[in-house]
Amino acid sequence: MAISKEAYRVLEAIVGEDYISSDPVVCEGYRSGPAGYEAGLGYERVMTKVPGCVIMPLTTEEVQKIVKVCNRYKIPYVPYSTGWYGPRSHCHVEDELLIDLKRMDDFEIDEKHLYALVGSGVIYSQLQEEAMKRGCYIIVGGGGSQCSAIANMLGDGWSPLSYRIGLPHRRILGTELVLPDGELVRMGSLAVGDDPFWGDGFGPDLRGLLRGFTGLRGCLGIVTRMAIKLLPFQPEKLEPTGISPNTTLQLPPKRVKWINFTMPNKEAMKKAMFEMARAEIGAGATKVPMFWRAIAKASCKEEFWDIWSKENEETISSFHLLRVLLVGFGSEEQLEYEERVLNDIITELGGEARRTRPTDESWFKNADSAGMWLMCGGYVSVDYVIETLEHAIPHGENYAELKRKFTPPLMPDYGDPGWFQSFELGHQGYSEFLVYWDPDVNTDGVDHFYLETSKENIRKRFYTSLLGPHQPLYLTGPAYGPNYHKWLLKIKDEFDPSFLSHPPVPLAHDHFVERAEWMRPMKDWESPKFAP
Amino acid sequence: MLKGKLSLDVTNLDNFEYDMSKCIKCKGCYWVDHIYMPGVTFSTRCPSATRYLFDSYGAYGKMRIGLAMLEGRMDYSDELLKTLYACPLCGACDVGCKRNLDLEIELTLEALRIKAVKDGKGPMPAHKKVAKKIDEKHNRFGSPHENRKKWLTKDIKVAAKADVLYFVGCSAAYTSPEIARATAKILNAAGTPFMLMPDEWCCGNILYSVGMIDEAKKLAKRNVEAVRKTGAKTLLVSCAEGYRMWKVDYPKMLGIPTSELGFEVVHLTEMAAELIKKGALKFAKPLDMRLTYHDSCSLSRLSEPWTPWNGERGEWGMVSPGLERRRGTNGVYQAPRDILEAIPGLELVEMIRMKENAFCCGAGRGTQEAFPDFAAWAAEQRLFEAKAVGAEGIVATCPMCKDNFARVARQNSEDLKIYDISELILAAL
Repeated sequence: MAISKEAYRVLEAIVGEDYISSDPVVCEGYRSGPAGYEAGLGYERVMTKVPGCVIMPLTTEEVQKIVKVCNRYKIPYVPYSTGWYGPRSHCHVEDELLIDLKRMDDFEIDEKHLYALVGSGVIYSQLQEEAMKRGCYIIVGGGGSQCSAIANMLGDGWSPLSYRIGLPHRRILGTELVLPDGELVRMGSLAVGDDPFWGDGFGPDLRGLLRGFTGLRGCLGIVTRMAIKLLPFQPEKLEPTGISPNTTLQLPPKRVKWINFTMPNKEAMKKAMFEMARAEIGAGATKVPMFWRAIAKASCKEEFWDIWSKENEETISSFHLLRVLLVGFGSEEQLEYEERVLNDIITELGGEARRTRPTDESWFKNADSAGMWLMCGGYVSVDYVIETLEHAIPHGENYAELKRKFTPPLMPDYGDPGWFQSFELGHQGYSEFLVYWDPDVNTDGVDHFYLETSKENIRKRFYTSLLGPHQPLYLTGPAYGPNYHKWLLKIKDEFDPSFLSHPPVPLAHDHFVERAEWMRPMKDWESPKFAP
Repeated sequence: MLKGKLSLDVTNLDNFEYDMSKCIKCKGCYWVDHIYMPGVTFSTRCPSATRYLFDSYGAYGKMRIGLAMLEGRMDYSDELLKTLYACPLCGACDVGCKRNLDLEIELTLEALRIKAVKDGKGPMPAHKKVAKKIDEKHNRFGSPHENRKKWLTKDIKVAAKADVLYFVGCSAAYTSPEIARATAKILNAAGTPFMLMPDEWCCGNILYSVGMIDEAKKLAKRNVEAVRKTGAKTLLVSCAEGYRMWKVDYPKMLGIPTSELGFEVVHLTEMAAELIKKGALKFAKPLDMRLTYHDSCSLSRLSEPWTPWNGERGEWGMVSPGLERRRGTNGVYQAPRDILEAIPGLELVEMIRMKENAFCCGAGRGTQEAFPDFAAWAAEQRLFEAKAVGAEGIVATCPMCKDNFARVARQNSEDLKIYDISELILAAL
């Protein structure tokens, strides 16, 4: 049912006529695809719709009013901060209201208690710069500097710098959540006052409800304000230099240093991560996939393929590059000490330091996720696990084998086993598996691979963190639960009985498999019959 | 077309289907390069999306809308024309996108306007009026053609024949004569003889910019031929928009590389910086001012030379033969800064958004004519930024920027001085 004129007028009265539109041109501008994260695939084609109307609130109160109007007129809606997160952050049903939160860019910083209070429209690079002006830093999630800080903190929120810091759960402090019925929940210390300095509050910690490991993509309401913990950094400036596309941050050499090490094998790389953690040194550590290096070296798509086509199974399987970040948080002497310890560890493990540029292009202010599309035009991180290193590394290797069956349409990557690193000083192991394809050929195989990875996780007992909105819930729920799906749906039903907040998430992938005929042969699990 | 034969010909939107269909909504076109991100203020570089907010006004929206136009899914409407034309085509989106990807955003936006005109829907009524004036009077103001050289004063020496030909342009000839005079006097002071075109006409910037390709091409042919006939080796301009027209868009329309124009296109700032370096221009008078420099889009990120390209797109979206993408890296950024830094007493302070990240003044490419409120808003943003860095004044290298800034400063009673760089050079000699 189209959004009625009456409902439109009520919504318009909330935000004013300049901030709402149902014009087809405006709405087309909010189409998910055909390109972007996970876009150009069957999920995007089958599951996403152009919004019926777009509205841009300014305040939490306006968001509450909008959501209440949606409940009154039964209008499905989706919150949208930057639109970066591909089809899963766009409208999924006809005549849906897209609530564009970009005007909500309020920003406050508390230098004494080290937190920033941000609105949904504030992105990571803005927040990082403001933090760094004050001698602090944040983790710019691998999703990219262009991500809404709130959305990424709820959804993912990690990078190689998570080696020291870990997942974002505990960096989410006082938070405002507009529930799917329009009521406001103030979490953490905001529950008892106006100071959002602390993440815990009375009663159960609802942060788990919002994100779990990877968040529920807007199906349990809208976060409008969040206090984010700032971490103490070192005092010297990271100086921007260069002209686009060759821009970089010049690092203060005695305070911040990336060092690349060639390691003899994967085992040595893993051991180095553990030993670094045991010695409590380092500010970041990651395995570098070979194709990242090729992207960094290439000045254009064609040059990337010139470089990449020289690789083979042998060069990929013997490529073990460990990239370590050292920061003299407290002093220059700290960095000197850590570098000596690191070199001892690496030497003992048979590794060797390589010449490394004294710059940062990728992780402090410019998590360069957009470059991932240079190669093929299509990209998604098909899975991530957050468990132990012992668990994470085989996950990538396993997927690499599985991937061979789906290459093409996947890009030939000669068995590259993805990206792994350690979080929280070795206490957690992380594996992320990235896939690339040419969106201008038949991509059914990519859709099949995506689903096959869910099954592989179940077969091989990999602890995926994408259980909820990225995989068929009736496939993963019984396997991981046995009643995980039932609880998730009960929670959804409790908070959103009319199913208006971003429907049909968390059942979107279930719907996709039902609707896409090329997916149906893969369905070997039980589920209720979904409405079309 | 997504694969197969294609070219960079902007008269055929099919050539840009791949570019429109590969926008990933990273919004690199909208935000300042994240490496240079200054914080929560002055953080965007797209005037159109910053002003109108809806995604449809950013390149990410326009690429989707353009694809819908190409596929016949989008009817023309007032909103569609506003989306296409309430944009100064400043190139911020193009360099932002090309930091990571190889998509031709600027050319796509030009091609969309050309399609709108071909379809009989564009340009905007205000543009049609200007086009009529250009057609009838050879200048965009509709002023008498015979007044084109009225800016010349008796103390300016113009050679009958010289290697350098100064193309004055409509703005400097009619509404900003101080720029034309200052440019001419600088050349006289440096001992660089120059001539003028026997019969100078409008460069056609606005015609090309709004998609009136046939009219623009006629002017391009006429003007290039006229300069070739003079035997000039160097065509000098003091207008950034004119610089881009001669250096990039004329070759683009004529299907030749910039190097085959038959003469070199040079902006005053490039020539003056060189003359200063050689000692031919010497500054004697101090100018005790704290000024900031505004990178005019067409002198900076949009000014790299043009090379026609025809080829094929194949697997993974690769093109062959190789294509040297224009990413804005080699625009004229340093020369104006070198000049200002060489002027004794003048303190140059940079704005927060500078060089390829600069925020456009909003006047160019038909915006001032069709959306004057938007153009004024963009200029206000830039003046606010100039004040935020404590500048007493702002220096431009284009009469259109200067005019827009000056108008807004006047309207808002701003205590900011607005200069063209030629005036400062002359004042310091």
